[in-house]
This record gives sequence, structure tokens and C-alpha cells, in this order.
Amino acid sequence: MQQVSLRNPAQPLTLLLAALVAAPEIYSLAQEQPAVVRGRVEIGIPINARRPTSAYPTRSVPAPKLAPESERRHVVVYLRDAQPQAVKPMRVAIHQLNESFTPRVVAVTVGSEVEFPNDDPIYHNVFSLSRAKNFNLGRYPKGDSRRVRFDRPGVVKVFCEIHSHMSATVMVFDHPWFAVPDEDGRFELPAVPAGDRQITAWHERLGDTTLRLRVESGRPAAADFVLPVPEK
Amino acid sequence: MTVTFVTVAIILSVVFIVLMVDARDRVRASEVEKLSVAEKVFTSLEARRQLEQLAAIATVAENPTLKAALDTYFTERAFTGLQDEQEQSLRDTVTVEAEKLATLTGADVLAILDSSGRIFVSAGPLRDRWPAGEHIAIPATSTTFQDIAVLPQGAFRISGSVLGLLDRDIGALVVGTSLDANYARELSNLASADIVITVNGMVAASTAPGEVAADLVNTGTDAADTAALNGEEYAIRTLIRSGRARIYTLASIDAAARTATRDALTALATVAFGAFVLAALGSLWLAQTLTDPIDRLSGEIAMMTAARDLRRPLHPTGTSRELDSLAEAFNELIQGLTVAEADTRAAYLGAIRALAATLDARDPYTAGHSERVSALSVLIGRQMGLDAADLDVLRLGALLHDIGKIGLTDAILRKPGPLTAEEYAELKRHPGQGARILRQVPFLAPHIPIVELHHERPDGRGYPFGLRGDEIPVAARIVHVADAFDAITSARAYRPARGTAEAIAELRRCSGTEFDPVPVEALEVALPLSSTTPEPALQELLGRQLV
Repeated sequence: MQQVSLRNPAQPLTLLLAALVAAPEIYSLAQEQPAVVRGRVEIGIPINARRPTSAYPTRSVPAPKLAPESERRHVVVYLRDAQPQAVKPMRVAIHQLNESFTPRVVAVTVGSEVEFPNDDPIYHNVFSLSRAKNFNLGRYPKGDSRRVRFDRPGVVKVFCEIHSHMSATVMVFDHPWFAVPDEDGRFELPAVPAGDRQITAWHERLGDTTLRLRVESGRPAAADFVLPVPEK
Repeated sequence: MTVTFVTVAIILSVVFIVLMVDARDRVRASEVEKLSVAEKVFTSLEARRQLEQLAAIATVAENPTLKAALDTYFTERAFTGLQDEQEQSLRDTVTVEAEKLATLTGADVLAILDSSGRIFVSAGPLRDRWPAGEHIAIPATSTTFQDIAVLPQGAFRISGSVLGLLDRDIGALVVGTSLDANYARELSNLASADIVITVNGMVAASTAPGEVAADLVNTGTDAADTAALNGEEYAIRTLIRSGRARIYTLASIDAAARTATRDALTALATVAFGAFVLAALGSLWLAQTLTDPIDRLSGEIAMMTAARDLRRPLHPTGTSRELDSLAEAFNELIQGLTVAEADTRAAYLGAIRALAATLDARDPYTAGHSERVSALSVLIGRQMGLDAADLDVLRLGALLHDIGKIGLTDAILRKPGPLTAEEYAELKRHPGQGARILRQVPFLAPHIPIVELHHERPDGRGYPFGLRGDEIPVAARIVHVADAFDAITSARAYRPARGTAEAIAELRRCSGTEFDPVPVEALEVALPLSSTTPEPALQELLGRQLV
């Protein structure tokens, strides 16, 4: 008992020490200005080359055209190990069209709601087994829509309970430093705190590709990705 | 009959030999052909089965829960790492789905591979042989695939389907069939022949005897149709050739040949039995219609020859027209011969009778003597109940009984007084002389005893041999009596003729000594005793009796 009572007063001391060590960093952050990080994402391998989807030769719904939009749109670039921040919720929609989720990859802030409108003339059933958000929206017909709110950061894989080949990814961030490149592969992470940073480009098949860069105070930085990069 | 059987036996033997020589070649060709057909049937069945299995696998691979759990598992692990409960929960989800699919497909083992081809989860009865983490190489040619996978835990025939999302593949679903004894038996039933499964040149499973399978591997007969394995000849076909695995089907030609030969021999034995029965029936028919009648005819002819009896005609056989006409011709021939012989006999008889008459005519007292003795003898013989043949012999014998006297001089023959001893001795030679004369003519042989012995007496005091009683033939005894009767009732130069009654009395007096009593009594009964004038009455009587 005595030992325990002796220890208890030690805890505030530890916290204090930690605060002292962290203080210069906090101080420097206050001193330096954040900067924008811009870059381009290139995909160096023919990512669309895959086996013919002829598992169902008799399937009545025609196989959807592969990747009408640039595969670059399926990349999420984000600041790794970023401090959680208070973020504004977003409103995003993932359509179910031609037996596929469009867009296939979205990135949102914590607290955002994602709409899943069904634009196909058939039923769909959106569900997820992911830890960040486990849900099942049930079946609903064309024109109907369901909404899901994502309250935890992480990756959420979304599937259709009816059509096993459909999949989408919702990346949920608790900070604002993330982006999905445009069709040319350009992206922009605004107001990245200065310092040594890691920028990661995630692709659902190619995995993570991470660049290290120094963000100078108030100076835009460049982060160009060529996916995939060889493993170090 | 024998000939028929021998012919059949020879034919059967030849058939048997030809069959033995021929059977093996035929069986070899037929076994190879059978296997080839079995292979074709099996191949098409198997192709269909595989197609259906692939379709089924492709269908079950479209499992949203399975795919979602698998993709979530690997995506999240790569992004942030998985917490233990999350890891377990997703793995369990995949496992539950895999077990359901394993039950659905009835597979030995079903595995979910990750995108690198390593086993993530396995299910089914043999799941322990496909441990997680094991790599299974799958061909990258199409969404569904078939192959042979060789793992440290054994060889498997695999069929599978890629687990794909719209944009990428997240893994594969693989169904494995263990290439073990069970599978070999299953294939063996399908192919109706033995199955040998080899992997990497080693026997993995086999329904054939071990030595045979080992020999098959050693000889490495991939292309050959037949090969000698463990001392027997086998027909071999390769059913499946996939990577390092081979599935052969084989059948023993020798075993099949043995069966086929046995079957053929059974059939042959049946035919042989039938042939023997037919041959027996045929022989019987031949015997009835040909052989037996011929035997019967030749027997009759032989009997006719032996008995010198040509009067009886051959009986028609009634079985064959040819035989009957032959018998008829024979009968006509015999009839012609009989007529010719009768003519000859009549001519002889005429001559002899003329001779006898000439003899009688040498002495007026004995004129007609031979004819009368002949008639009397027949009278006595008939009274005694002799048959027609004996009477014929008697008639002619009596007619000729004194033919030997032809050699006597007239001095002795016609001497009115008593004879001298020399003369008497000369006279007593006439029976022997007669017999010698008759022996010249073959058909007179039956009459010789009468001629030779008609002076023998029952008391043994007769001549020429002094025979007694029963030693003397009946015919000779009859003629003796008749001769004496005619002598007594005929006149002689030295005495007149005496009457019938007197003659009978005289005969009766000497009955038992000089004469046999039986003919004497018969004569007495047969003669009309009231007649006192013997000559004319007797003449009349005898005239009626003359032949």
C-alpha cells in the first residue's frame, strides 16, 4: 500500500517531464509556417492488365468497361503520422452504376457521411466488414440511396452482398492532409506543417508508397510518385 | 458311324487349334481397342465432369462474403495492421465460407489462396494436408484453371477459380482431389480398367498390383499401346498427362485372353456336344436306312449260300428304293438260276430213271421193280409221317436203290437157281457200287445212304457194313422193307408171285431181325389188305402213287 501511495505522486512528474521535452517542438511549430505539398502520381505498370473476367460466361449483365477514368483516381495521397486534428465533415457519394462502385476510391474526414445511391436497374446491397466501419445497408432498388457516417479513421472496404466483384474503398482521416489525384495525377496537400514529413501514396492493389521530404516553412514542396516503387 | 465321329473329332480339333492360335491376337487387338474406347469415353466424360466442376467452382467463387472478408483482411493489414480480434474475425468469416463451399463441392480439400498463391484458409476433410502458408502454384492463363499440385503432403489434382474484383484479383479458390487410392479406385470404376497414378515418376496410387505399377514407371511407356509388365502383357493408355503427374489406365491382355479363350472353349464345347449328338443321330439314320438293310440282305444271302437254299426270295428292306431294286434283281437272278437248276435236275432224273428202267428191263421178272419200290417206299414214309423233303429223298433214293446192279453180269442177275458163294458175294457189292455211281452226281448225294444201306438189317446181319438198328438211316430201312415186299409179291423164274397178305405175314415174321418193325407196320396199315389179286390192284395203287 505504501509503495502504491508513493508512486501516485510520481505520475504528474512524468507528465511534466514529457511536456518539457515536447515544448521546443510545439514552440517551433508555432514559429514556422505550414506549406503546400504538390505533386504528381504516375503509375508505371499496366495496372489494368488482369485476367479476363469470364468466370460467368452466361452472365446477363455485360462486364463493365475497365477503368474509364484514370487509374490515378484510385490513389490516395496522405500525410503519414499526422497529428489528429479537428476536421470538417464532408459529403461524398459513391454511386452504384454498371455493377461497380463509382468512384471506387474516396477519401473523407472523420464524421463525414457517404451516400450510396443505386443508379443500376438492379438491386444492390452495400456492406463492409472493416473495423473502422462495420455496416450493412441491405438491399435497395434503383433510385434509392443510403447514407453511412464514418466516425473512426481508417480504411473501410465496401462491397456488394449481391455482386461479389464490386468493391470500393473509403479512406477516413482524422486530419486534413490527404488528397485524391485528378485525372492527370496532380494532387495538392495544403498547409502541411513544416519539418521532415512522410507522404504516402496508397493504391488498393499496389499498396503504400512513401516518400520522405522536408517541408520548409512557407515554401511549397514537391512530391512526385511513380508507382510502384521498388521495395527498399 | 465311327467314320462320322472321327470326322467330327478331327474338325473340332482343327477348330480348337486355330482358336488357340487366333484367340490371343484377337484378344490383344480387342483389349487395346477396348482401352482406347474406354479412354475416349473416359476423356469425354472427364472433360465434361471437369467443365461442370469448373463451372461449379466459378459459381461458388462468386461469394461476396468470402471476397469481402478476404479483401478487407489484406487491405486493412497492409494499411494499418490488424488487431487480433479483427484478424480472427475476418479469418473466421473466410473459414466459415470455405467450409460451406467445401461441403457444397464435396471436395477432399478446398483452399482460399491469397494473391501471392499462399494458402490463407483451408477446409474439407483433408484440410490438414493443406496447411496455411503453403504455396500452391496456379496457372495464370484464365479465371478458372486445372492442374496437378505436388505438395510435401501429397499430390493433388486441383481445379480452381480466381477470386476477382472488378479491377483486380484478390486470391483464388482451389479445390483439391487427393491422388490417392480412393481416387484411383474411382477412376478405375469409370474407366473399367486398372489405374496407375504417377507423380514425378513415382507411383502415387494404383489399383494394379504393386509390381505391375512399378514396372510401368520403370519402362516409362508413355506412347506405347502395349508393354510387358511383371511378366504379363498389358494394354496401356495415358488418361491424363498434366505436369509431373500421369494417370494411366491399363488392362492385362493375358488375363483377358484367358477369359476369352475360356469363353470360346465353352462355346466350342457346346458346339462339339451338339455336333456329336448330330453325328450320333446321323449315324443312326444312316444305319437305319442303309447299313442295317445291307447287313440284313447280305446275311440272308450268306444263309442262302450256306443252306444251298435259293428258293426263298430276299425280302425287300422297305428303307431304300435302290436297295429294294437290288434285292429284286437278285431275286430274279436267283429265280433264273433255280429254274435252270430244276431243268438240269429234271434232265438228270430223267436219265437216271431211264437207267433204272433199263436195269429192271434186263430181267423180265424185275421189270418195273424200281418204280414199285419207289412208290411203296413213299407209301410207307407217308404213313410214318415223314415230311415232304424226306419223302422226295426217299422217292428218288428208292428209284435208284439197285443202280449198283448195273455192273452185275446177266449170269448172276438172271440166274434162275441159287447163287454160288462167289456169285452171292458179287451180288452183295451192288449197294457200294450204286453209291459210287451216285457220288459222281453232286445233287444225288442225299440219296447215297438209301442206295448204299438198303440191305442192312436191324440185327446187324445185313450188308455191306453190318450196321445195327438205329445206325441204319430210316429211309434205307423203309426201302429195305419195300424192296423185300416187292420181291415177295413178284414172280420169279423159280417161284410164282405170292399175295400181299402172305408177303405181309412174311415181313412180320422177319420183323425185328431182318426188317425194321416200324416200316413193316406202316406198310401193313397202308396197304388195302382185302385185295387178293396183288398185281393189278397194286399196279393200280402204285400207278396212282407214281410221281
